[in-house]
Amino acid sequence: MTGGEWGIYIVLYFWLAGFGGGAFLLALSQRDRWLQRVGAWLAFLGVVVGALLLVIDLGQPLRFWHLLASFRPVSVMWLGSAFLFLDGIALFLLLFLRQWPPLLVWAAAILTLLVVGYTGVLLTATARPFWAASPLIPWIFLASAGTTGAAVLALFGAEAGVHRAAFWLAWVEGALILLHLVWTYPSATPAVQALLSGSLAWAFWGFVAFGFGIPIWLEARKKGLWLAALLVLAGGFLLRYFVVYAGQVGYLI
Amino acid sequence: MPRLDDFAILFDASYCIGCRACQVGCKQWNDLPATETQNRGSYDSSYLSAHTWLKMSYHEGLDKDGEVYWDFTRTSCMHCSEAACVEACPTGAMNYRPGGVVTVDQDWCIGCRNCVQACPYDAVHFDEQKGVVQKCTFCHDRIANGLAPACVKACPTGALRFGTYGAMRRAAWERVEALKAEGYTEANVYGLKEMGGTHVIYVLLRHPSTYGLPIEPMTQRHKVAVDWLSAGIAAAALGTLGWVIARREEVSGGES
Repeated sequence: MTGGEWGIYIVLYFWLAGFGGGAFLLALSQRDRWLQRVGAWLAFLGVVVGALLLVIDLGQPLRFWHLLASFRPVSVMWLGSAFLFLDGIALFLLLFLRQWPPLLVWAAAILTLLVVGYTGVLLTATARPFWAASPLIPWIFLASAGTTGAAVLALFGAEAGVHRAAFWLAWVEGALILLHLVWTYPSATPAVQALLSGSLAWAFWGFVAFGFGIPIWLEARKKGLWLAALLVLAGGFLLRYFVVYAGQVGYLI
Repeated sequence: MPRLDDFAILFDASYCIGCRACQVGCKQWNDLPATETQNRGSYDSSYLSAHTWLKMSYHEGLDKDGEVYWDFTRTSCMHCSEAACVEACPTGAMNYRPGGVVTVDQDWCIGCRNCVQACPYDAVHFDEQKGVVQKCTFCHDRIANGLAPACVKACPTGALRFGTYGAMRRAAWERVEALKAEGYTEANVYGLKEMGGTHVIYVLLRHPSTYGLPIEPMTQRHKVAVDWLSAGIAAAALGTLGWVIARREEVSGGES
């Protein structure tokens, strides 16, 4: 209605940071050194491209350095930009080093987790009922980071463990989304209706069918795993899309 | 809590006739362009935006006795003492100024719109031309020179008053007592506790929810703490689940 909504750049950033970060964290649970390096690359690209998208999205992109010249830890936006900055440095060092010092790996893992986690907190700490009425958006984003991260690792040839983790996290993710819709329906009725049968139904049902149902069916039958991974990745994008836009239905869109 | 000698505006719904003189006065003083209105089936046809910092909201319905009511509220920035926009701002561009006024520094704002999403009163909006956010300034350029804000100056019925916080709060309490004596048993003051105490206080005839006002809005600080806690529990729970499954399969060689 009045413009200035958080739009497609934010959706893309949440998606990239989500699957890149998720892939890195899951890869750390694997012994495969090559896969760990792939995970670090994905997380690094997610952080760098994501940060660029965030800067482009600003009303005054050239003033992005004001973030670094301030200290406002209560602001989730400020903390997130600090995490993003530090995580970028930690991941860059990892990619640069042949031998990974355990301390640096830990730092990068924790910073990556914070980057993935703050995106959910950013939405939940607002006055928009669809985001704020339940505490579950961080849960949904973390679960989705797990499934999409596993999906992208699967494309790079991850073993059965990553597939199993993705399979179970997908069920948890679906249950969390259902719970969130029921929880927020009383206070965010227009948003939930937009998802179920309104302007965002294509993204919501597209996610349910292609990002959730079909991949779970394929995984359970251990068939078409490559297709399942691609669908989960696309579904992760739809999920971020409908969550970001639904929160602003009736306010900014 | 606001200081007793802070600036304050008192809006008295029992005196408001819904003429929108305040809305026009705000536009004129602040040089804000006209905006398109939209018929939503009532006189309430405008939206708060980067170019509309104050609007009248119209609320109609039936009360408990089946009587029709049609009430008006001044909807704008409340100049909170624990303002969600200030606490959400990552650069400090949105901040408290002397006298309890909340304004945005247009040269420091980066246009991230976190304040737009955080405000429980929907009072901050993004200006696409300028790339920064805009909101009511409490007419700081007027009050710093001993004048009343433009909306207060324009009000023809005395529904808007301007003065020190102490004086306005006392006037609000006195008015509520008088209204109760007249039979308005639900009359109440809004804004004394909300968001650390707001510098715009309302005298209302009915429950604040009737006027579309948020009931006991949580401060940003409180919200952020709860939400980080939720994210922490989520990370621990989901992280353990995902990591353990992936790790166990790997250790056992994936036979299952």
